Amino acid sequence: MDKKILVALAGNPNSGKTTIFNNLTGARQHVGNWPGVTVEKKEGTLRWGDYLLRFVDLPGTYSLSAHSIDELIARNFVVEERPDVVVDIVDASNLERNLYLALQFMELEAKLAIALNMMDVAESRGFRIDVQGLEKFLGVPVVPTVATKKIGMEELIRAIIATASGSGKIGVKIDYGEEIETELRKIEDLIRKEPSLSKYPPRWLALKLLKGDQEVKKLFEGGEG
Amino acid sequence: MRREILEEAERSRRHLSSIFNDDPEVVIADRRYGFISGVCKKVVKRPPTERIALSDKIDQVVLHRTLGIPIFLLLMWLMFKFTFAVSEPPMGWVEEGIGWLGDKIGGLLPEGSMIQSLVVDGIFGGLGSVLVFVPLIFTLFFCIAILEDSGYMARAAFVMDRFMYKIGLHGRSFIPMLLGFGCNIPGIMACRTIEQERDRLVTILVNPFMSCSARLPVYLLLIGAFFPQKGSTMLFLLYLIGIGVAILMAKVLRRYLLPGPPSPFVMELPPYRVPTLRGVIIHMWERGVLFLRKAGTVIFGVCLFMWFLTSFPWNPQYNKDYEGLIEEAQKAFQLEVTSVAEDLAVAPQQLETHEGFSAFLAVQKEFDARVEGLEEESREAEAASRWRQKQLARLRQSYPGIYPLFLKYMEAKTKRDERIRDLERERAAEKMQRSYAGALGRAIEPIVKPLGFNWKIGVSLVGGILAKEAVVGVLGTLYAVGEEAEAPLRQRLINDTWPNGSRVFTPLVAFSLMIFTLLYAPCVAAIAVIYKETNSWKWPMFALFYTTAIAWIAAFVVYQGGRVLGI
Repeated sequence: MDKKILVALAGNPNSGKTTIFNNLTGARQHVGNWPGVTVEKKEGTLRWGDYLLRFVDLPGTYSLSAHSIDELIARNFVVEERPDVVVDIVDASNLERNLYLALQFMELEAKLAIALNMMDVAESRGFRIDVQGLEKFLGVPVVPTVATKKIGMEELIRAIIATASGSGKIGVKIDYGEEIETELRKIEDLIRKEPSLSKYPPRWLALKLLKGDQEVKKLFEGGEG
Repeated sequence: MRREILEEAERSRRHLSSIFNDDPEVVIADRRYGFISGVCKKVVKRPPTERIALSDKIDQVVLHRTLGIPIFLLLMWLMFKFTFAVSEPPMGWVEEGIGWLGDKIGGLLPEGSMIQSLVVDGIFGGLGSVLVFVPLIFTLFFCIAILEDSGYMARAAFVMDRFMYKIGLHGRSFIPMLLGFGCNIPGIMACRTIEQERDRLVTILVNPFMSCSARLPVYLLLIGAFFPQKGSTMLFLLYLIGIGVAILMAKVLRRYLLPGPPSPFVMELPPYRVPTLRGVIIHMWERGVLFLRKAGTVIFGVCLFMWFLTSFPWNPQYNKDYEGLIEEAQKAFQLEVTSVAEDLAVAPQQLETHEGFSAFLAVQKEFDARVEGLEEESREAEAASRWRQKQLARLRQSYPGIYPLFLKYMEAKTKRDERIRDLERERAAEKMQRSYAGALGRAIEPIVKPLGFNWKIGVSLVGGILAKEAVVGVLGTLYAVGEEAEAPLRQRLINDTWPNGSRVFTPLVAFSLMIFTLLYAPCVAAIAVIYKETNSWKWPMFALFYTTAIAWIAAFVVYQGGRVLGI
């Protein structure tokens, strides 16, 4: 029997996500729409030894706040479908901005692996990135890749499989400072007591409530008293 | 319980807001960026001074205040030029291939049968006209994929944003509108790149006003007939009217139907990149296949439906006994043949093997073969004609007695052929008139009459909803009547009269018809795509009715206004 792994590919627009998706799945692609909306949903598969990897290409976004359909789709997929691995494709030449999305996946407690893509561009601009250091600080596997030249694809697949079958590190936890953390704990405790919310990471929900996220607020405004 | 959590969270929010004197959202984001920038400082070594990247240098030219738009227009012009040049030969092949296949398959089916009519007229005739566009669409998608993957498309939207903002649309609405000139379907599909739902809907809804290439044959037919001196001006005017109506309706829809603040347009300018062939081909393929699937299935269904409308009732009650009249014509010809044969003292069956007479027939046969497919009065046809004269003159010397008999025979044959052809055309026209399509035409005549249109134009406009080119095709079928059938469609339109003898088509009617064709209902494929793209029947139905209403009003104003002014 094949071991099935559901992988969500995420990343900022223009991070090379589509190229990586094409590299990994080749012609085994299926294009459809996300349910209820008209944003394209691409899926593809890859057989690797005993594993059958199913890739879902999430819309390219800069963040997971619910400001656009794309962001909402990406977020709901991770929350509702709980993919075995989320691969965040990060533009190495634009690391600061790209890592914002990675942090949000960590807060969603997704099993994350980072593809540090466009390493060639970063190097040609004179950036030198300490990959091991990045892995250590973020607490998730980081694989350097050059999607256009298909460099690092095998390493990425191995990292995906290792992440899927591993203990499930959820990455670093950001310290928001004493004031915010106190409020977060208070709300988190309340959320933990509410069984109907168990599928959501409590800290994430609490953060969203503090931020005043409209979509998350709807969860709480709904019926049951 | 949930509500209590929400209330608690709101208390926390207020509390934090007062501590930080700012929205907690901002504070949280700040902390995140702080963390990230800390990580990056530790793991990324930067060059001492970051040189201006190549991307920025290109942007200084491409996004230039004054040069930006001309550069963009030039690139678009090149793209269209390239697309049409490259896709023209394959479009010809597809057209020929479909015609050839239709002939072959039609030939295998029983002549005059329902199944033959269905396959040849319904499937190959209708679907073929759509498949012809496949090479064009794939080439266009290929070019767009290159522009997109290289990062230029984002710049184009950036350059056009200010102008689009003024007319109530979004910077990203520009590309879909531009694509609409080729075909509204990719135009509507391209609206996906517009993030905000309201902007996207408005752009979809006004896209059909961009005069797509399928409307060109209609303009060309009518301009050729009624404005031969002012062709390019008229054409340019029609395109301008389309753009004008699109802008106007965008403003109206944005204001009354889908009001809301204009969405901020924070343009992400990705670095330029050399597109990979693989990526470009995959992009082209994905969209092209979507076009084939979406448009193909719908058009196939409607082709069958239009075929049904124009072909049934299959055997209507005719005014005249066409079969009997055709037989009469045959009999009249046989009488002539008998009389010629008597003069030559042979049995009618032996006429074609008569020594002298067969020589004349052979010349005629050779001549018919030579001129087949040639245009009348072309140099080749004239040469064949001279050749025939020479051969006949030679034979006349050998068989002076037979020559007048041959002429008599040919005259009778031509008369019979013309008579039968006219009868068949007349029958086809009557069948059309008695078909469901004809009934439909009479039903809509009162609606289109104030625009100066008769029932035939009405039916052709219904056919045009299938595909705008079909307006010309349906007019061609409906006007294939009687003694003038040899004349080009253009001439037949000019000659058509109302029952009271006044002409149906005047330049004013032609202009009214062009305006109507430009503005009315998106074609079914476009309607289907609007459905797919909005996921509801509400918007395609709205598009169907509001565009048709505008078209009617515009054509009414043109026609009635023109009449008042005495044009």
